[in-house]
Amino acid sequence: MRSYLLRRLGQAALTLAGVSLLVFVILRVIPGDPAKMLLPEGAPQSAVDALNRALGLREPIWVQYVIFLRSVIRGDFGESFQYRAPALRVVAERAPATIQLALVAMLLTVLVGVSIGVLAAVRRGTGYDYAGTVLAVLGQSLPNFWLGIMLVLLFGVTLRWLPTSGFQGWSYLVLPSVTLAAFPTALVARLTRSSLLEILGQEYIRTGRAKGLGERAVIWRHALRNAMIPLLTVLGLQIGTLLGGAVITESIFAWPGMGKLVVDAIFFRDFPVVQTVLIISATIFVVINLLIDVLYTMLDPRIRYG
Amino acid sequence: MVRLGVARAQGRRGEIIAGLSERMLTLDPANHYSISATSVLRHVYDPLLDVTNDDKFAPALAESWRALNNTTWRFTLRKGVSFHDGSPFTADSVVFTLKRVRDNGKLIKSFVYQDIEDVQKDGDHAVTVTTKRPFGSLPAHLTMLGMLPPSAGEEAFFQKPVGTGPFRFVSWTHGDRVELAANARYWKPGVPRVEKVTVRFIPELSTRAAALRAGEIHVIDRVWPDMVQTLKATPGVKVLDTPALEAQRWHFQLARETVKDPRVRKAVSLAINRDVIIKDLLLGYARPVVSPIPPGLIGHTNLGQKPYDPEKARQLLKEAGQSKLTLDFVLMKDLYPKQLEIAQAVAAMLGEVGVKVNIRNLEIATAREQRTAGNYDLFYSGWAHMPHDPDWYFGQWFTKAGAEKLTRFSDPRVEQLIAEGRVPDPKVRQQKYAEIERILWDEEPEIWPYYSVAIYAISDKLSNFEARRDYYVLLHEVGIA
Repeated sequence: MRSYLLRRLGQAALTLAGVSLLVFVILRVIPGDPAKMLLPEGAPQSAVDALNRALGLREPIWVQYVIFLRSVIRGDFGESFQYRAPALRVVAERAPATIQLALVAMLLTVLVGVSIGVLAAVRRGTGYDYAGTVLAVLGQSLPNFWLGIMLVLLFGVTLRWLPTSGFQGWSYLVLPSVTLAAFPTALVARLTRSSLLEILGQEYIRTGRAKGLGERAVIWRHALRNAMIPLLTVLGLQIGTLLGGAVITESIFAWPGMGKLVVDAIFFRDFPVVQTVLIISATIFVVINLLIDVLYTMLDPRIRYG
Repeated sequence: MVRLGVARAQGRRGEIIAGLSERMLTLDPANHYSISATSVLRHVYDPLLDVTNDDKFAPALAESWRALNNTTWRFTLRKGVSFHDGSPFTADSVVFTLKRVRDNGKLIKSFVYQDIEDVQKDGDHAVTVTTKRPFGSLPAHLTMLGMLPPSAGEEAFFQKPVGTGPFRFVSWTHGDRVELAANARYWKPGVPRVEKVTVRFIPELSTRAAALRAGEIHVIDRVWPDMVQTLKATPGVKVLDTPALEAQRWHFQLARETVKDPRVRKAVSLAINRDVIIKDLLLGYARPVVSPIPPGLIGHTNLGQKPYDPEKARQLLKEAGQSKLTLDFVLMKDLYPKQLEIAQAVAAMLGEVGVKVNIRNLEIATAREQRTAGNYDLFYSGWAHMPHDPDWYFGQWFTKAGAEKLTRFSDPRVEQLIAEGRVPDPKVRQQKYAEIERILWDEEPEIWPYYSVAIYAISDKLSNFEARRDYYVLLHEVGIA
């Protein structure tokens, strides 16, 4: 296990180095000039050139990359072109909003998605199953922006039960997290239902029932635990995505998270901020996937890494 | 408690929450050309001059100003003003602020102030600015430059800045909001009228509108024409509009063989039915253009509307030998209200006279690169006059050096007039600019389809809110019931 972990960590470091190089080069190859985006539309070319020099963008690209790598190792991700502040600080300021939203949305996804999935599988072919299927199809097919705006109009503008947008406390989390959770919840519900159904048909389930185990124990302890493996893979990918920021949801709810930050940074060619966000999200992805792989061994003792 | 008593005596109460469209990136008045940031920072810092909504310059920290000669401006400063930290506002503050913006090349506004030769104080309450060449637009630029205390450093100061403005800075949550509290010792009596102002940044119009309709905020800017009906139908919400200091202008790439010929440009202009754009696509929220620069700016001269005459357009194209013309029309994606619909309508109109239009709707940075490279025939753009002076627009787009990597415009006559129009004397400026406008109007290096209209929506609890022509949202003289 230890050598496996070491090997995985080594691979992770390589992956991250690759990501950083890729992001760095792509940003500089795509058309668009950071100084031009910072300055007003009619700024003279001399001002554009001077600002580009001040931002260090006139050096050859490999020199820039070496400077960048050296600073990253010291924990310095450079200075944001737009905010004129350390990129890491700019990103860190947005992290709490993103993390809160991602965690609440994930919690909703797991609670609601798994419950619907289990109910639909256990009561297969009944009204519960059909209702669950309809919900899942809706959740997966309603576009995020439409659902968000409808929720705002209904609960914010018409009923005035919940705030329409912003980031001031728990009540502000409800609508964005429901909007964000809709798609993964549907996905998880369908996945839970299908993998549970498959497992419920297996022989050890019959054995369990035959030896007089209660239905509750059969479903929750034996069947669901085995159904968790594909589910965990999907959840790992989902949480990685959510932590990288949810651009559309953040825009609709004026949520000050990382998704909107990075999209704006891409538009305005704020290289240091884009690099920081992407390297951080890549790190989160890599770590979560590693954790999920380790979790497999706990769920299923047959899985061993050597 | 004493302060509270004073506030009550002046009738200062309540909180106004505004929802602005554009995010704010800095608290440094010298480091942005953002309209939202200008609005927010005007509450914290005072500039030397203000500009009123009827386009007059008004005293702020400068009580008076005049040009001593073509390259010297003198400002007499207001006495008895102090910064939020208690230190007095004096000539040192002006000297510091102006030299800083000129000398620190990293500041976004730096390039505008390169013409300043020297800034000298004359006692504590007067400042003389000498310039390398005539700088008639200096007062206009100064309306956008908040005065800093001479002790202001760089980064640390701008984390929690102090100014002399009607509100004190309280906090800024990036991407979310800025909170301001009334400055009880503001020099202007009766101002501000509320205890607190919060500005939220809500780029998405439907979200801004929802927050206003839900009663969570009191004013929003940048409403689009098709949102007006919904807002008007909401109880407690009022919609205000005013002709903006913004002309839409689609510029030609003048080095391109096709549109180099003035007959072709004229034909394109004649083939565009501007009335349809204004009435049908913008629902009347735009004004017909009668000059390259909108009314209210120095030099504006009414030259009459451009005619719509497809027959004549066809004839001109025939004369020019351009019977199978194709034009690349480049748009900066999602930048202007209804731009894609308008461009499509224009493509159809030009199709009527046999010109094929190739609409290229590109991401902003890419579009600008294409423009620098010269890969376009017509470029969809607008010009909001910041500051209230046409010198920047003329100097940037109609001088050889300015337009070199943009439109490739070059005309020594115009160049000469622009230089002559830089003097402080308003009569000279009026005359030179009128002449420039006539030349441009005749040669049509750009298509001016319409002047924009600024639309705001507010809660009916607000009193004294002014729908500004420059898109600023200024709240220091606004009250709330």
